[in-house]
Amino acid sequence: MKIALHVPCYINELNPQIAKKTLLILRHFKLNVKVPINQTCCGQPFINSGIPTTLPLKFNEIFKNYDYIVSPSSSCVSIIRNQNLEVSNKTYELCEFLHDILKVKDIAKNYQKKIALHNSCHSLRHLLEGAPSELNIPYFNKIKKVLGGNIIEATRDECCGFGGIFSLKEGFISYVMGRNKLDDLLEKKPDVITGVDYSCLMHLDSIAKKDGDKIEIKHISEIIWECLNETL
Amino acid sequence: MKHYKLAIKFYKEKGPRHDKNLWNIRQKRDKAIKEIDKWEQLRTKASEIKEYVIEHLEELIEEFTKNAKKQGIEVYYAKTKQEHNEIILKLLKEKKAKKVVKSKSMLTEECDLNEFLKENKIEVIDTDLGERIVQLRGEKPSHIVLPAIHTTKEEVAKILNETNSDPTYLTHKMRKLLREEFLTSKAAITGANFLIADKGFAVVCTNEGNADLGVTLNKLHIISVGIDKLLPSIKDLGIFLRMLARNATGQKITTYTTIFGKPTNQKRVIILVDNGRIKRKKSEFKETLKCIRCSACLTTCPVFRRSGGHAYRYIIPGPIGSLLAPLVDKEEYKDLPFACTLCGSCEMVCPVKIPFSKQLINMRKYVTKNKIMKIAEKSIHSDKTFKLFSLILRLTPKPLLQKAFKEWSKYKKLPNIPQKRFISL
Repeated sequence: MKIALHVPCYINELNPQIAKKTLLILRHFKLNVKVPINQTCCGQPFINSGIPTTLPLKFNEIFKNYDYIVSPSSSCVSIIRNQNLEVSNKTYELCEFLHDILKVKDIAKNYQKKIALHNSCHSLRHLLEGAPSELNIPYFNKIKKVLGGNIIEATRDECCGFGGIFSLKEGFISYVMGRNKLDDLLEKKPDVITGVDYSCLMHLDSIAKKDGDKIEIKHISEIIWECLNETL
Repeated sequence: MKHYKLAIKFYKEKGPRHDKNLWNIRQKRDKAIKEIDKWEQLRTKASEIKEYVIEHLEELIEEFTKNAKKQGIEVYYAKTKQEHNEIILKLLKEKKAKKVVKSKSMLTEECDLNEFLKENKIEVIDTDLGERIVQLRGEKPSHIVLPAIHTTKEEVAKILNETNSDPTYLTHKMRKLLREEFLTSKAAITGANFLIADKGFAVVCTNEGNADLGVTLNKLHIISVGIDKLLPSIKDLGIFLRMLARNATGQKITTYTTIFGKPTNQKRVIILVDNGRIKRKKSEFKETLKCIRCSACLTTCPVFRRSGGHAYRYIIPGPIGSLLAPLVDKEEYKDLPFACTLCGSCEMVCPVKIPFSKQLINMRKYVTKNKIMKIAEKSIHSDKTFKLFSLILRLTPKPLLQKAFKEWSKYKKLPNIPQKRFISL
C-alpha cells in the first residue's frame, strides 16, 4: 500500500509539528509513507474566495499514483473530494483513514486528560465523519471511536466561526461564534480541546489567548501520537 | 452599510437573545423531523419533484393557467414586478378599493407592492401579527417566516402605546385593531405556498387564520405568487405539507392549510410572477428555484442568528437571500455570499436539497474581481514561489502583519509563526 502524506499549506507554515506527528502516526502502523516535496496548496483559499483555480488539478498530478492520500485537515480533503478527480475518493482525513481503512479504535482510551472534541464543519457536515444534528440519521462519530474513552462534545454542533476568509471579513461575528464555542466546551471542564482541523483550533486558541482562558488546545494528531508513543 | 458593520450593531444590542430564540426553533425543528422515520427519503423525493418542476416550468405554467381558468379563476402572468404591481392597481381601482388587507407574502415584498400602492393612495394593511408589527415600526421583515423575530415585547408595546408588555395582552389588542381593518377593507391579497398544476389550485399555509378571514370577508381575492411555487400534481402536495411546517417552526402542520379553487360569490385572481425566475432557470443558480421558503436555512445559520436579518438588507436574508440578492443587484449585495463560513448547516436542513455550499461558492465567484488573489493563485503553483511567500511572511514585522490582518487582530491574537516549516527545501 503506497501512502502519501498531504501537508496542508497552512499547517506547513503555522504548525509543522502536526505534519510531523501525522507522519509518525502513519509510520507507526508500518505504512510506506511518502511526502511529495513539490506539493503546495489544494486550492481551498482560492475556491472559497471565488477565485478560479487549477490547483486541485496540480494536487491530482502530484498524488494520483498513490493508493491513499492522508491529510491532517478535513477542509482540504473535502475540497479534493468535491472535485471529480482521480484522487477524489482516495484522499482521506487522518482520523477517517484510521477509522475506515486501518480500522483502528480506542487509541486514547487511557489518556490521562479529559478531552473535548470540536467537530469541525468540514469533518461533520462535508465529510460526514459524524452525524450532524440537522439530519435524521442514527448517531455516530468516527473520531470519537478512534480516540475511545469518554470524549466531551459541544452542546451545539454548530460552526466555531473560523470560516477562512470569513474570519478576515467579519472579524466580530467570527469572534463571537468562537467565544460561544469555547464557552460551550469549557462549561464541561475539559483539560484539552482538540479536533481534526487546525484552522478551527488556531482560531479558538487565538481567542482563548486574547481573552485569557486557561485551556490547552491541540490538534488531534498530537494526542494520538502521545498515546501511541506511550504504548511503544 | 455592509453586513459586517450592521452585524456588530445588531449583535451588541440584541444578538445573544436572537441567537437563543432561533436556536430553540432549530431544536424544535430537529425534534419534529425526527418523528418522521423516512425524513431523509422525503427530502430526496421533494428535491426530485422540484427538479422536475424547474425542467418543465413553462409547460406547468400553461397547465396551471388552463386548469385555474376552468374553475373560474382569472389568471395573469407578470413578467416583472412593475407589471405585477400595475395589475394589482388596476384590479383594486375596478373595485374602488381604498383599503386592502394582505396576509404574509414574501413575493409582494419582493415587488415592493406596499410602497407602490401607498403612492397610489391605497392603504395596505398587513394582517399577519409579525408582519403588522414590522409595518407599524416602518421596517421590513427580518426573517421570512418570523418577520418580527428581531423585536422585543417591550418594543411591540411601545408601537401600540401600551405600558403592559404581556404578549397575550398585546396579541389581543392587535387582534382587536386588525378586526376593524378586516371589516372596512375592499379586497384581500394573499400569497401562496404551492400551486397545483393538474388542478389549478393555490395552497395557503398560515398559523393565524388571517389569510382566510381576509379572503372570506372580501369580494376580491388576489393571489400573488412566484412561478417557482408550482407543483405538478395534487399527489405531490402531501410530501411538501409534511415538510414545510416541521422544517420551519417544528409544527406538524400549520394551523390553517387552505386549498383555494373555484371561487363562490367573489372574484379570485391569480398573478403568476416571473420577475427574473425564467432567467434564473437558465443560469448556474437555477437550483435556488427549488426553494419553498420554509426559512430553515435562516434559522439554522450561525451567522444569521447573530447578525439578524436586517444586516443582509435584502428582503430575503440568510443563506437563500445571499444567493438571490446579488442577482438583483450585484454591486450592492456583493458582501452577502461572504457573510458565511461555508459550514453547510443550511444544506443539511434544506428540505429540497439546494446545494448551498456549492452555490455560495459560485456566488462568490460571480461577485469577485480580486486581482491580487488571481496573481497569487498563478504563482502558488510552484513550490519555489510558495517558499518565497513563506519567507516574506516570516520577515514581515508583527505590527505590519497585524495591520494586514486587521479584522482578525481586532478581536484575536495572531498566531506565532515558527521559524522552520515541515517541507522546507
